[in-house]
Amino acid sequence: MVMKKNIQESAINKNPGKESAFQESAFQESARRTKGLLKHQMMHQIKHQLQPHKRIGYLKTFLLLLLALLIIMPLALLFSSSLKDDRFQITAELGSLKAFFVTNPSFNNYIEILGPQAPVPMARFFLNSCIVMAGTVAGTLLVSTMTAYALLRGKFRFKRVIMTGIIALYIIPAEAIMLPLLFLSVKIHLTDTYIIQMLPFMASPIYIFLFHQFFKEIPASIAESAQIEGASFWKIFHLVYVPLNVPALVTVTILQGMESWNQYLWPLLVVRSENVRPMTVAIASFFSTSDIYWDRLFAASVVMMMPILVLYLVFQKYFIASIASSAVKV
Amino acid sequence: MRKEPKNKLSRFSLLESFQELGMLTPALILLALFVMTPFIMSIPLSFTNQKLFPSPIPVKLIGLRNYRQILSDGEFWQAIKNVFLFTLMILPTQCGFALLAACFLNKQAIMKKTLRAMFFLPFITPMVIVTVIWATIYKYPTGLLNSFVQTVIPRFQMIDWLGNRHTALTAIVFLSAWQAYGFQMVIYLAGLQNIPEELYEAAAIDGAGGWKRFAYVTWPSLKNTTIFVLTITTIQALKLFTQVNILTHGGPLGSTNTLVHYMYEAGFIGQKIGYSAASSILMFLLVFTVVLAQRLLLKRMED
Repeated sequence: MVMKKNIQESAINKNPGKESAFQESAFQESARRTKGLLKHQMMHQIKHQLQPHKRIGYLKTFLLLLLALLIIMPLALLFSSSLKDDRFQITAELGSLKAFFVTNPSFNNYIEILGPQAPVPMARFFLNSCIVMAGTVAGTLLVSTMTAYALLRGKFRFKRVIMTGIIALYIIPAEAIMLPLLFLSVKIHLTDTYIIQMLPFMASPIYIFLFHQFFKEIPASIAESAQIEGASFWKIFHLVYVPLNVPALVTVTILQGMESWNQYLWPLLVVRSENVRPMTVAIASFFSTSDIYWDRLFAASVVMMMPILVLYLVFQKYFIASIASSAVKV
Repeated sequence: MRKEPKNKLSRFSLLESFQELGMLTPALILLALFVMTPFIMSIPLSFTNQKLFPSPIPVKLIGLRNYRQILSDGEFWQAIKNVFLFTLMILPTQCGFALLAACFLNKQAIMKKTLRAMFFLPFITPMVIVTVIWATIYKYPTGLLNSFVQTVIPRFQMIDWLGNRHTALTAIVFLSAWQAYGFQMVIYLAGLQNIPEELYEAAAIDGAGGWKRFAYVTWPSLKNTTIFVLTITTIQALKLFTQVNILTHGGPLGSTNTLVHYMYEAGFIGQKIGYSAASSILMFLLVFTVVLAQRLLLKRMED
């Protein structure tokens, strides 16, 4: 009965023009209908109340846009300053609105840091960061998908125990083991290499768990039927499970890529030479003198920001979804 | 005929289990080498006077001396105090603003994507770059903040925000909150999307206005999200390092020193690995206790 009433109401809702005709045809039940109509009107009013007026909507948008501009203002400062050739001009203009505008843009700062004769070989540091990031992401994807799959579909014993053990490792903060790990790296002569900047982050409990959750959603019957067809464990993994989980791969790529690109403490500890130094450490080292070369510093920061910014603007949806899913899944 | 698949399975089983274990081993080796080993190693190391690089002083067991030294070190306690102060300040700032932004953006129809992209932009900015930008904003005396405050209040005495021990930590709080609130915002947005619209309709029938709808519908429905957000933010806050290391080196007068920075100075600058291993263990215990306590506290509040 109640359901029928709801359907009637929704019918009214959908065709407001036919409202009166509907009323006439069901004359006998007028009392109930009036009640229903009243309710319908009330609901309409409430919906109206919940959705603010259009003009208020525009005002809200305008205010939000202002707030958003205020929030990204520091980034505008970064880009505009990087185009000012004179570092004393940069510091002189920092305190005024001039900081956000460039009167005569010049790419000299970029040439100074990226050119072949650059006093600070930023191109090299940029390349180093790229290598470390690519290696870390590739390694993480391979290691964590394999582990998650083996722990989900493998037929050996103690799968649960191993999985729980891996998740339990997550409570150890990376920062709390960095100095003992540095000592270990010195002992095994791995400091000052690319590999030591990548290896410690490849087997991350959180990503193993994430893939485990994603893989679980694929029905086991798919794997079983593939197995009956004669596909091996490895084949099912890389021909079925990996291709079916592209969203998870994208998520981990974005999260781990950002993490690796921003990695600061660990390279600060294990990297000494310029050959393998990443951008983060290189940019931070500008601050080690009291006379800071702001012009080069800003240009270097833009160089470091650019790849992420471009990827973010192109794949915005995935970035935000990845961050959200990292929270929801874990 | 029916038995054939089973035979096939057993024929492959040796290869199968070989593959299974082969896929599992890399992670186990990596976790054993780079997580378990340093973690377990730090326990015996913390009882020695081990140096980072070989030194003429022989390595020997020194009992609890490292721990006693740390616990009687004023700098260590100040670092702990700073980290807690930082956490207490950043939790309301960052999570509060994130919730506010999420509520504003949630039902925004016009320019939804653009606004979200702009609000989220600070989060994708690397922390190192954030410090570069904010170093200029806080700069003394020509920075943006100083001249802005001076325009509003002409008699204002300019402050060296990062060089003053009363303002340095607060300055770090704001730049950190600016960089990271996007994360909490996205999680709150996901939480807001899960609140059924009927609840708002019911509240509106009862005559609840905007604020009451937030207090009686939105906020209670976001309880689990808030617990998650507070936990994550606390863990991150306890690990504060990059900003402090680049901008203030823990100064002035230790007013921005943090636990990780204390460990870094002892183990890397001072090369006292044994000593820093002891402080690593103390840090682990602290983070563990805080997270556990917070969980229990928030769970109890929920009941």
